[in-house]
Amino acid sequence: MDILYLLLPLSVVLVLLILGVLGWSVYRGQFDNLDQEGVRILEEDEQDP
Amino acid sequence: MRPGAPAPALSAAQVTGLDDPVVMQQCQVGPREADGAIPVGLGLSGMYCAACAITIEGALKQVPGVRDVQVQGATQRARLVLDPGKVRLSQLVAAVQSVGYGAWPDGAARAQNARLQVQRQLLWRLLVAGFCMMQVMMITTAQYVSGPQDIPPDIWRLMNWASWVLSLPVMVFSCGPFFTGAWSALKRGQIAMDTPVALGIAAMFVVSTGVTMGHTQWLGHDAYFDSLTMFVSFLLFGRWLESRARERVTQSLESLCGRLPEAVDRSLAPATVADDDLGCSEVATVPLSVLAPGDRVRVAAGQAFPADGQIIQGQTEVDESLLTGESRPVPRERGQLVVAGSINLGAPVWCRVERLGPDTRYQQIVDLVHQALTERPGWMRTADRFAGPFLWAVLVLAALGALAWQWIDPSRSIWVAVSVLVVTCPCALSLAAPSALLSAAGALARSGVLVRHLDALETLASVDQVLFDKTGTLTEPHLQLVKVWHRGQILDPAMGLEGEALTDLQRAASLAALSQHPVSQALVAWAGAGGEVPRWQQVREQAGQGMEAVDEQGITWRLGSAAWALGATEALVWPEARVWLAPQGCDRAQALDAAGFSLDEKIRAEASDALQALRQIGVDVAVLSGDQLARVVALVRQIHVNPPVFVAAASATPEGKLGVLQAAQQAGRVVAVVGDGINDAPVLAKAHASFALDQGAPLAQSQADFIVLGGRLGGVPLAVSIARRAMQIVRQNLVWAAAYNFVCIPLALMGYLPPWLAGIGMALSALGVLLNALRIGASTDAGRHHPSTHTNRV
Repeated sequence: MDILYLLLPLSVVLVLLILGVLGWSVYRGQFDNLDQEGVRILEEDEQDP
Repeated sequence: MRPGAPAPALSAAQVTGLDDPVVMQQCQVGPREADGAIPVGLGLSGMYCAACAITIEGALKQVPGVRDVQVQGATQRARLVLDPGKVRLSQLVAAVQSVGYGAWPDGAARAQNARLQVQRQLLWRLLVAGFCMMQVMMITTAQYVSGPQDIPPDIWRLMNWASWVLSLPVMVFSCGPFFTGAWSALKRGQIAMDTPVALGIAAMFVVSTGVTMGHTQWLGHDAYFDSLTMFVSFLLFGRWLESRARERVTQSLESLCGRLPEAVDRSLAPATVADDDLGCSEVATVPLSVLAPGDRVRVAAGQAFPADGQIIQGQTEVDESLLTGESRPVPRERGQLVVAGSINLGAPVWCRVERLGPDTRYQQIVDLVHQALTERPGWMRTADRFAGPFLWAVLVLAALGALAWQWIDPSRSIWVAVSVLVVTCPCALSLAAPSALLSAAGALARSGVLVRHLDALETLASVDQVLFDKTGTLTEPHLQLVKVWHRGQILDPAMGLEGEALTDLQRAASLAALSQHPVSQALVAWAGAGGEVPRWQQVREQAGQGMEAVDEQGITWRLGSAAWALGATEALVWPEARVWLAPQGCDRAQALDAAGFSLDEKIRAEASDALQALRQIGVDVAVLSGDQLARVVALVRQIHVNPPVFVAAASATPEGKLGVLQAAQQAGRVVAVVGDGINDAPVLAKAHASFALDQGAPLAQSQADFIVLGGRLGGVPLAVSIARRAMQIVRQNLVWAAAYNFVCIPLALMGYLPPWLAGIGMALSALGVLLNALRIGASTDAGRHHPSTHTNRV
């Protein structure tokens, strides 16, 4: 059970990292317009030579 | 505009108006970037599917100078990043129009951007609370399911500390709205719903922190971090859903106000030139932002008047539906005043600018509306009224419990007080009203009524009188074709026209489609598409008289007043007809080939049913109108309800209508108002509850509590029924929350309530409240679906 001394703090750090990533994605506008996301697959990719 | 077909190119006036740097500034949505590029918002129209967004994005990306384009289909908006030195707005609008859609600079984009930031912050708060809750649950589940000796005390303490660290972001960041809400209520000396929530959260956190630090003597052995985070997540989720729904409605309203900015011809003659000599003076086309009072401008037929002013040369007819909601044109001649935003229908006139922007009559009515809103009768939510006594009762009980336990077993006294505070956590209480109101708003939206203020549902449930505006509300917004005169016979077009009469109607409609006059537009709206449409040549319009054109066979046709089309100035064949269609030629016998069309206001088809339904649920109805009493009575007679509808006011100004409303309110009645024009806006703001029709003036809609889609008056009695049902559910929920507390407080006081049981109790009570609220949607719209005609969703 000693491994918990490592795992518990690690999980806390991981959650804090995830919160940071979520904040970044929210403020970059990824959640602004959820209805449009399903349409993204219909867009034509730009051809880069 | 048919998607896919290019629209007519922008006129020179429109190009000047669009390229005004002031307009570019108004639709800028964010700060200038390092390389000089600015983000700009455009409103779009004509989108009907998701592929339209891709087409528009492609068209805009091809304009040189545009860095990035994002089109949002659901809100019909585009966000571009462009280089202002290289791109002009007119190029962007032209690009969108070339693929068959409409575009305009989005002046509301900045306000929308500010709201977007608020929304993002709310979502992040929710995500922080939710993810922390999940992790804390994971840790505490181990504590729940473990036996007495399974977890060594060191690990137990580590678990508590881990939960504490994870609850910190929730307390510090996610709970912000609750603490600020409780604090601002406290500063006002009131207790709002946020106060028991904030107190409960604070108590839970303080006690759990104490337990984590080892003060188990006073505070008991258990920490409440899982209940705390779960509670906060639930509440934030409800708030997030509510704000999303409100944002949808707000955006759909903003898109109504999108118009291309105009430019206007301003006379370059100095002030010394008399008004009468203006006809030959030079003009320059200038954007609206540079106009000043005293300027003399020439307003063409079909243009909107740029400012409040006085006509100094010429005479015309004006469409003031912007203000009155009535599309019947009113004559204006030299010396008379015109209002900014009204449309010049007849002939070009010269006009002296008197008031611009904030001083116009339009703006004055807006200010009147804002004033009425601040004086609106206050209406606290039912749950808010319970919050105060509830909170005091809980505090008193907790104190009493602590005191009592001092004698029995002092080590548990604080712990018992804390259990009481925690278990009476107002989860069910704070979800009782919002869940029912949200569910009711959803049910109403499916039936074609948009709810802008959830609180208005509570007020609507106790409404006992509804005042209807006449023009545009009870009557159809456009003039209707009432009768057709053909070859000496008077026909009713509602029964269906055939043969020659139908051909004449379609011929008239095809010619009328080339004119902007509201009578022409009513003809076009009635006739619809179809039939053989002759190709008209040599079309000309004589202001105030009618139109003339030559068809393929070389026959000249005239559409317009009797004098214009028939050449008869007296002994009118049929006085009721407003518009005649007749072939011109030397052969007078062709007068028999003429067709006459009589147009008038008509009561909406569902008005009778709607008013009858209101009477049946015990709500009184009356009519307010700015029109003359005789006309109002004649129209009201078309509504078949028993007893007949009462006309509360006729020939009433906006102030007059407000007076009638205030008299009714002071008599103790709870009054709702249904209206559509701008001059209804002050009355809508002051009423206890207000409905606006989505076919009316955007200002009325932006102030109303409810918006009825598609002009279906049946939405009004439906809204009242659903509001009453919602209040029933709210009361049931409050009773349920009270019962839960009644059972749990004695258990907590006697020391029997461990925190895990309190957590389960909280979850069950909240779930019960939510499920009860969902019953509103299920029971009311089974079999009564009114498909919404709102075209906002893509």
